[in-house]
Amino acid sequence: MASPLRPTSIRNLNLLLRSAPRFVQNQFRAHSTSTSSVNPTEVSHFNALASTWWDPHGSSRLLHLMNPLRHDFIKTCHASQPDPAPSANLRFLDIGCGGGIFAESAARLPSTGSVTAIDPSPEVLAVAKAHAKKDPLLGGKLSYQNTSIEGLPLPKSADDQYDVLSLFEVIEHITHPANFLDACTPFVKPGGWIVMSTMARTWTSWLTTKVVAEDIIGIVPKGTHDWEKYINQEELREYFLKQRGWNSPQVMGVVYVPGLGWQKVPRSEKLGNYFFGIRKDVV
Amino acid sequence: MNPAPSISRALRARQLNNYICNSCTQQIRRQRRSYVSTSSTLKSPEIYDVVCVGGGPAGLSLLAALRSSAATSGLKVALIESQDLSRTRTWDLPEGQFSNRCSSLTPASVKFLEGIGAWQKLRKERVQEYEEMQVWDGVTGARIGFEWMEPSNGTGEGKGRTIAYMNENANLTRGLLERIDELGGVDIYDGQKVEGIELGEESEDLDLRSWPVVELADGRRMAARLLVGADGQNSPVRTFAGIDSRGWDYNRHGVVATLLLDGQANRKTAYQRFLPTGPVAMLPMPGAFATLVWSTTPALAAKLKSLSPIDFMALVNAAFRLSTTDLAYMHTLEAGQVDELIWREKHTPFDVQHVPARVIGVQEGSVASFPLKFRHADTYIGERVALVGDAAHTIHPLAGQGLNQGQGDVESLVRNIVYSVTHGMDIGAQMSLETYVADRYTKNHILLGVCDKFHKLYSVESGPVVGLRSLGLRAVDAMTPVKQFFMRQAAGQGM
Ligand SMILES: Cc1cc2nc3c(=O)[nH]c(=O)nc-3n(C[C@H](O)[C@H](O)[C@H](O)COP(=O)(O)OP(=O)(O)OC[C@H]3O[C@@H](n4cnc5c(N)ncnc54)[C@H](O)[C@@H]3O)c2cc1C
Repeated sequence: MASPLRPTSIRNLNLLLRSAPRFVQNQFRAHSTSTSSVNPTEVSHFNALASTWWDPHGSSRLLHLMNPLRHDFIKTCHASQPDPAPSANLRFLDIGCGGGIFAESAARLPSTGSVTAIDPSPEVLAVAKAHAKKDPLLGGKLSYQNTSIEGLPLPKSADDQYDVLSLFEVIEHITHPANFLDACTPFVKPGGWIVMSTMARTWTSWLTTKVVAEDIIGIVPKGTHDWEKYINQEELREYFLKQRGWNSPQVMGVVYVPGLGWQKVPRSEKLGNYFFGIRKDVV
Repeated sequence: MNPAPSISRALRARQLNNYICNSCTQQIRRQRRSYVSTSSTLKSPEIYDVVCVGGGPAGLSLLAALRSSAATSGLKVALIESQDLSRTRTWDLPEGQFSNRCSSLTPASVKFLEGIGAWQKLRKERVQEYEEMQVWDGVTGARIGFEWMEPSNGTGEGKGRTIAYMNENANLTRGLLERIDELGGVDIYDGQKVEGIELGEESEDLDLRSWPVVELADGRRMAARLLVGADGQNSPVRTFAGIDSRGWDYNRHGVVATLLLDGQANRKTAYQRFLPTGPVAMLPMPGAFATLVWSTTPALAAKLKSLSPIDFMALVNAAFRLSTTDLAYMHTLEAGQVDELIWREKHTPFDVQHVPARVIGVQEGSVASFPLKFRHADTYIGERVALVGDAAHTIHPLAGQGLNQGQGDVESLVRNIVYSVTHGMDIGAQMSLETYVADRYTKNHILLGVCDKFHKLYSVESGPVVGLRSLGLRAVDAMTPVKQFFMRQAAGQGM
């Protein structure tokens, strides 16, 4: 942060944003939305949802129900490693943590050392913090920061990096996914994982998620997903595989079946939500 | 929209006041005042993951299961039981004496108890398994024999299969407690009643306003991530959670007794006869012993308890042999049932093969009675609350399922907690507990309903229903697959 700002550096601009008052951020974004991964209209949409984030019958119910599968997926990723995954003191970085559904659950696991959870919306973070206060177990393990990934200081050593960087239901809310993923890379430990979930960009997905979930079932509030921004799995795979230093892509498709909940369905990644994981080379 | 949390909490706290008796409420208020005057803040409660109220069969097996599973062994757990558990620990009866509180455990319950390492602790010489049931209608005589039949595939599977295990409740709770003591790690507060339950408070770094805080008689306060009500029919935990329990009283009492049978003719079979006043059942215990569960009107129950042992035995023998008219007459006698039986038996044809061996002794002090109820809680969960066993449901004892349902609840709840722990969920959050209710509620409701309807169906003495009834039992008896379905249900394998 102490380094002088270079106007060409996206990263440094975002460092400025991190400490700048909110109205400055908004002004700035109005001129140049492309420099931040965060889309302001998305932020305001989630602010409106903040109050119902932890209501078990509220609009985040589907996310609550899906959350255990996120852990199952991370276990699958770890189990796929040729070398044993760390079993204690795991460090998580949860990006776009929202009300903290995943962040809290990750912090509760006995194998977790710490969870850093970030979100650009202060309203949503206030909800997350208030909720975390209800669980004495979380106090020492979970910390929230009101920032975007670009605003986090870069890790100085492997100890500062994370074993698991999670991006759950985040990708589809981001305007420039490729830049965003680039920004995440330095935060992952060698041998660590980026895990994410999103929806496949296909007509079937549009039909099932956009129409069924948003309009018919009425459980996902209208306007949550802009399907144009969905990134489909091939695209993600390509992105990662093109980069040097990533390996072992893992995919798990899940489908929400009313009455049964979220079900793992092989090859359904072309149909509905899917989890995607990629491992950073051990070097 | 749900009401604002603070409002519903306040309601719950108020509802609890109904549960605590007036003097206790006053005492609590007084205590609180004294806290205020001395330190201005209440001593902060000790924080637990699971606080289980009630150390009966359900509560103890919950703790044994939580302690024996690797995933949940890291949870901080406590047990509160109003009775002195050292009496359970040291429970012992000489050979040839049995407690009158016995339950038939289904193979499913036994399998679960084995899995948590508790069944191994039971005194097996006091457990009696049986492979045959004889059930018949006292009015029409229609019969349904429940011995396991050779399946048509000729595998021999099904032969010699156990329907259930008769066991003293104390033998089970003693064994469970031995297992808990062996595993360690449970903070046990026995000989102490729950004095009150209220919601916690908010401090600067902790918000316990959704956490139940249990207060004991000695002033100890415990905050529970998950408060389990295994506290029986009048569950204070259920009252705290504001969960209604609906149902009715049968206006029937269950008379129990430990009986000595004529050894020669004794078979290890469970017998149950539907009388117009309710079913009478005799269940085999080890040796020449049996246990009686006779559901009848409160007046007849009082009468049974007042009789001399010899007349009591005569009436029990009559209940399995004589016509319902003869039996009703014998009930009206002040004494002398034994002579009546001898005279009337001569004139009543009955099949010796199908009735239990003659009662020749009744254990002193073992004749007792309990009021029978039908209750089913509206739900088994609330925020940070789960109910198991009789706290959730009370069933008519005619199917011998009450205790087994509780074991099923516990098995399901522990499965639910294991899943939550391994997926980082808050084990007390209502959302995490949802699968427990989804798993258990309908199963229990069907069983409760079936037993209740059986009771009502067989309480009718004459009219068209009786005709249908005999047709029903005869038809069931003739159809092997249907009968095996019923037996699987009875053995707890069907659900
Ligand atoms: C006549 C009769 C015959 C039966 N026969 C059978 C049978 O054949 N088969 C069968 O399966 N079932 C049978 N049952 C039912 C069976 O006995 C019960 O279902 C079983 O005991 C329930 O176990 P539980 O642990 O849920 O509750 P309980 O055994 O009632 O245990 C509740 C515990 O909570 C404690 N407690 C309550 N309030 C507080 C408080 N405020 N603070 C601290 N502790 C508290 C109590 O002291 C008690 O130990 C029969 C019942 C009756 C009445």
